[in-house]
Amino acid sequence: MWLKKIILSVILALLTACAASPLSTYHDTEMDFGSIQTVAVLPFANLTGHTRVEERVRDVFMNMLLATASLYVIPPGEVARGISRVQLVDSAAPSAEEVQKLGVALSADAVISGVVREYGEVRSGTAASNVISIGLQLMEVQTGRVIWSGSTTKGGINMQDRLLGGGGQPMNDITEEAVLDLIHQLFNS
Amino acid sequence: MENQPDKTDADKADHPLLAVFPVQNLSGIPAPLQEVRETLINLLQQQGFAVLDDKTLETFMTAHRVRNVGGIDGGTAQALKQETGAEATLITSLELYGEKYPPKISLTCRLVTASDPPLIRWIDNVGMTGDESPGLLGLGLIGQVDALRDKALQTLMASLQESMAGEQEIPGTKNKFRPKLAFRSDTLAQEKRKYGIVVLPFFNLSDRKNAGEIIVLHFVKELQNLPNFQVVEPGVVFKELLRFRVIMDDGISLPNAAAIFSDLNADLILSGKILDYQDALGPWGSPYVDFSTVMFFNNSREMVWASKSYNKGSDGVFFFDVGRVSTANDVASQMARSVAEMIVN
Repeated sequence: MWLKKIILSVILALLTACAASPLSTYHDTEMDFGSIQTVAVLPFANLTGHTRVEERVRDVFMNMLLATASLYVIPPGEVARGISRVQLVDSAAPSAEEVQKLGVALSADAVISGVVREYGEVRSGTAASNVISIGLQLMEVQTGRVIWSGSTTKGGINMQDRLLGGGGQPMNDITEEAVLDLIHQLFNS
Repeated sequence: MENQPDKTDADKADHPLLAVFPVQNLSGIPAPLQEVRETLINLLQQQGFAVLDDKTLETFMTAHRVRNVGGIDGGTAQALKQETGAEATLITSLELYGEKYPPKISLTCRLVTASDPPLIRWIDNVGMTGDESPGLLGLGLIGQVDALRDKALQTLMASLQESMAGEQEIPGTKNKFRPKLAFRSDTLAQEKRKYGIVVLPFFNLSDRKNAGEIIVLHFVKELQNLPNFQVVEPGVVFKELLRFRVIMDDGISLPNAAAIFSDLNADLILSGKILDYQDALGPWGSPYVDFSTVMFFNNSREMVWASKSYNKGSDGVFFFDVGRVSTANDVASQMARSVAEMIVN
């Protein structure tokens, strides 16, 4: 009997580990995402110790979002002009009023802000690998409220890195992987 | 006899009088620019070109306050022809110069007509390192930068000669240099014609000085070499940006794009960001280039193209350095060529 309980516990634990965390994504169930045609991607915040990584991640995100051909992404120069016109103080965390003003200035249906939490090499003992962690928010322009939020972490040290070394995947690859995951989260909502 | 073409006139038409501008230094370090220019002039004269003497050119540049030697605008080009008789200008940009072993050099050279607007008649670039072709027992190694410089300039002048003879071959693209991400609007696909295109300086986020200007030259070359594009001379673009006082904060805005479209009578504007532009520091290592592009279309006033490219010189190299690309110049050139071809097709 006790053996049965142990096996069941192990299976349950494994199944829990395989499931995607339901807490990493939020989507507004009442929102019609099909009405969003044009988005402005604001400059991301950088919480890492590396410089300009927010530009790199934003660049990849904008390109991948455009490449889906589902949304028109406003060019970064135009977004910069909009930020300047509405005098946005913190582009990584705009208020609802600021989102509304920016949306009008840029003729956008929604605004995306984001934060890069981790980027670069991580070490554990002798093993090293690359890691990235990003969080994004999509805000509707009409009301200024958050209608989607998602986050992802890719890379990191796995068993292969610990046993064989090698330094993990290149930074560009895991950035694309992470951005693709976020885009899946966005469109699957 | 009178109807027969005059041989001297024909020679002049084949080899017009050239004004060789001082070499623009984009390498970010001091380099023997005068020696590069002198070697270039010698090679041109050996090929039969007449070169405008230094004193006349200096007097002209002083009188017209020509400070930008990396390009020429319409007014200056026309004045150059009227006052000196030069038919074209040779503009040379030095991108990389390294004397330590292995020596390195990268150059871009273009021939621009002395007309308003100035037209690019020929453009080519070359990037070389002393150890890129060691050959049998290392007999192909070049240890002195002077020898490498001469070889690079001879390659460029041979390309100019081929172009004048109408024999210039455009190399193909390799799949490994294609953009990793790309978006191309259907708006662009519907129209098949020759486009006037402006290449704006890229926003430089790399550690390499002048990388924003260097990557522009690669795109100018690759787009100009395709029959679908007539690229606006970068000197004209530079003057317009100054005239409109365009400050590109994170890229070009739509009002600025509209002003450039109307003033330069262009169909497309290509711009972007350069995130990395690194040459290998010593004999080891590999060059690395990372950039993204965006393109605006005058008809729709929208972004019709966006791409992201990154490559190392060692990409796709598995055995004995076969296929290795030794300079960032060469890597960037092949990446830009892939982007240009994907825009067209």
